[in-house]
Formats: sequence, structure tokens, C-alpha cells
Amino acid sequence: MSENGGIRQNLQQLERRSIAIIREAKAQFKNIACLWSTGKDSTATVWLCKKAFFGKIPFPVIHIDTSFKFPQIYEFRDKIAKEWGFKLVIAKNEDALEQGMSPKTGRLDCCTQLKTEALKNLLRKEEYDALILAIRRDEHGIRAKERYYSPRDERFRWNYADQPAEMWDLYVKPSEDFSHMRVHPILHWTELNVWQYVQQEKLPINPLYFAKQGQRYRSLGCMPCTVPIPSEADTIEKIVQELATSKTPERAGRSQDKEKAYMMQKLRSLGYM
Amino acid sequence: MIILALDALDLNLVKKFECQTLMQKECGQTDISNFNLERTVVLWASFLAGKNMETKIPLKTQWEFKLSTEETFLHFFKTYKAIDVPAFSFKQDHAEERKFLKNYFDDKSAIEEYDAAVWKIHDENKKEFLASIGKSDLVIGYFNLADAIGHLSFGIIQKMKDVYSELEGLAKETRNSDDFILVISDHGMKAIGRYGDHTKSGFYSTNKKLGLNLPKITDFYNLVRSLGNVA
Repeated sequence: MSENGGIRQNLQQLERRSIAIIREAKAQFKNIACLWSTGKDSTATVWLCKKAFFGKIPFPVIHIDTSFKFPQIYEFRDKIAKEWGFKLVIAKNEDALEQGMSPKTGRLDCCTQLKTEALKNLLRKEEYDALILAIRRDEHGIRAKERYYSPRDERFRWNYADQPAEMWDLYVKPSEDFSHMRVHPILHWTELNVWQYVQQEKLPINPLYFAKQGQRYRSLGCMPCTVPIPSEADTIEKIVQELATSKTPERAGRSQDKEKAYMMQKLRSLGYM
Repeated sequence: MIILALDALDLNLVKKFECQTLMQKECGQTDISNFNLERTVVLWASFLAGKNMETKIPLKTQWEFKLSTEETFLHFFKTYKAIDVPAFSFKQDHAEERKFLKNYFDDKSAIEEYDAAVWKIHDENKKEFLASIGKSDLVIGYFNLADAIGHLSFGIIQKMKDVYSELEGLAKETRNSDDFILVISDHGMKAIGRYGDHTKSGFYSTNKKLGLNLPKITDFYNLVRSLGNVA
């Protein structure tokens, strides 16, 4: 088999499993929705939802708007929502924004208020019992402990030690003790798989991912907290090539990861580790 | 005498969360600017010994470092109980907590696993501490909840509020005693994103007005000696 044939076959297997998970979740939960940041992973996930239901997504797609995102994100969101014809729901914590919440008032508080609380408010209002999210095991070590079905309590807490078993690809909804279920249909994909899939399916992609003047964004977040990486990859083909040799973590451009690196060094210097 | 040794208790958060019991009748910051690094074992050893111990405690073996009773103010008391005090009676149980801390930075553990290990030691120490009050001339209990949780979660206000509420509760249960009560921390803490880093300002409070003005952590050696009505 040629290299391209192998990639195609691999992507087909990944896609099949993801679509099965999405269909299973839709059948098991009464009020499900899909989160969409407009990044490559969640755009691929929305596309999988579209394919799972033959072109018409039968549930809303939620975008959490912190109001600090790149203008390209808003443009891309509105364009794709219109072209793909799904119901777009925007979650925004207006109260926190009115009170002046911004990355300047503290990055973590800002994230909590403008992302987590915005989503909590929407969940309470719309009573969603399941959310489809585009997280992947290879993004972070902690995410490697995630399951395809991940129950959360009313405070969004995840009990990693008490998760439903997922043997033989059976995804069972626990009967109680959860407020909503997180469903992770692309948990088994890698960053490279996602880009190969984007390439194969010719998916529209946010222009921020492509290099301009020697820099591109590898992971999209809010403007004040995301920095570009040095790169010359200005096409999907070049991004795929770049990833095949890259040793830099995907989220290296995020502030939180830099803070984590600083803290690890500091705790070492203080003798904690 | 009772000493509540609360690692990383920070005056700003004590005030922010209105922990009136922790503030007692007099409270303020301590000065640790004469230490190069705010190392936990060094600061508690210096508090116990009344002198700067920085050069005497190697970084690599600091958790195993132990002062003898004679080197500390404890020997002024006929009977004493020192629970989990660094550089004196520090428990091996903390190794588990530090293993999870390392695993977190190696992306092998979730913060929840680390937090659970920290709270477990705290609960055990709390039980032992409260049961010891009134049974010795001096009871000193060390609690690292604010430091350990703070290092990975100082930027999460609700989580720190829960920690300070727990420590305020501990102080309330201690307050019932007629003894002199000193609440003291080794250093403060500041947020680095979601994480917490040590600051050069410690905390103290007393249930008697003493009129202390930015005391050094080593100043408490003589204070404990005189207030304990001991030789």
C-alpha cells in the first residue's frame, strides 16, 4: 500500500469511530450540543457531526465568545455557520464583561469568568445534558486519562478516578451522579491526523493557522494570551510536513503553559521536586 | 501556648477573605528579606532556632534535615507536642504529595490527585493537633494546605477561599483555649497565572496585643520564650 493509501485508510478508521460516537451520543442524550472554538479540531468535529447526520447537524453548535478573540475567528465563525447551515448559539458572560473582566484583571479569572462561567450559564439556561468537545489525548498528558464519555458534576468537576468503563467500544451513559456528559469523539486522533483530515476533506480553516512573515498560530485562543510560533508553513501541505518533524508542544504559544514551565523551575529551585 | 504554623498564609488573602479569627487581636507581616530564597524548611528551622539557618541546610537533603530539641525554643517547655513541623518532626507522608507534584509537571497526574494527597495529610494533622490542645505546655501544629494547594491553584480564587475558610475554621477551634496563641507563616504567596509563588512577606497574629512592628521570623524565638513563662 502507498503512503497516501495508508494515511487514507487510517483516517477512514478514525472517522468511522468518531461518527459512531457522535451518533451514539445523539441517541443516548436528550439535549446535546457541540462546542466550537473555530479552531482546526473543533471545525473537524463539527464536520464529523455534519457527516454523521448526512449534512444536517440535528443539535446546536455553541461558540463561547470571550470578546477577546481574533477578528479572523469571528469572521470565520459567521461564514462557516452560514455555509454549513447549523444552529449557532453564542455563549457570552455579559455581566463579567460589564464589570470590566479582561486578561488585564488576571488571566485565570478572565478564563474562568469568560469561558467557564459563560458555558455554565448557558448549560443552566438550555439544560444541555451532553456536550461534544474536540479534545485529543495527545494534546496533554492529563487528557490521556480522558474517556470518550466523561461525566461532569454541576461545578464542572471531573472525577478521573471514577469514570465509566469503555470496553469493546461500548460507551455507556452512567445512570446518575452527573450533571452533564462530555463526549469526546476525536479523543483518539493526533494533531497530525487532524491536519491530514483537513487536507483530505478540504475543510475550510482559519487563516491564522497559515504563516505570514515567518509566523503562524498553532493553537488559537484569545488575542492577549496566544502567541504565534516561528514557521514558514503557509499551506496545509507545509503544516503537515512541519508537524512530522516538530518537537515543540502544540500549546507552546499559550500563556498558561509558559507559567507552568516557570513554576516547575521555581519549585525545583525551592527543593520541592 | 499554642502555635499554628501555617505555611504560606498570606496577609492579603487573610484580609480579602475576612478571616477574622486568623487575624486575632494583632496581626501583620513578618520580614524575611534577609533570606536569599524563601525555602520552607530553612524558614521554619530559623523560626525554631532563632537564627538564620539558610547556609546550614542543603537544598537536596532539606526535607530530611532535623534540629535537636536543644537547638530550638521547644526545650524551654517542660512538655511539648510538635506536629509535622519542618526541620523537627516533619512527616514522611509528604513524599506522596511531592510525588504527585512532580507527576503533575511531568503530565502524569491531574491536579485533583495532588490536591487529594494534600488534603489527606491536612485532615490527619488537624485531628492530631486538636486532640493535643491542653495536654502539653506547648502545642505547635504545622499545616501546609495554603502552600501546597496554592502552588498549583493560587490564581483560582474559589479554591483558595475554601482553603482559607478551612484554616479560619481551624483557628476558631483553637481559639477556645485560654493559652497564648501565635499564628505564623513562613512566607506569603502571589499569583503567577493559575499558580502561586512565594513572596518575601510572612504573616503573624497573636491573641494578645504585643505592638510588634514588622518582626523578623527569627525574633519569635525570644518572644515564645518570654510569653511561654518559661526559663
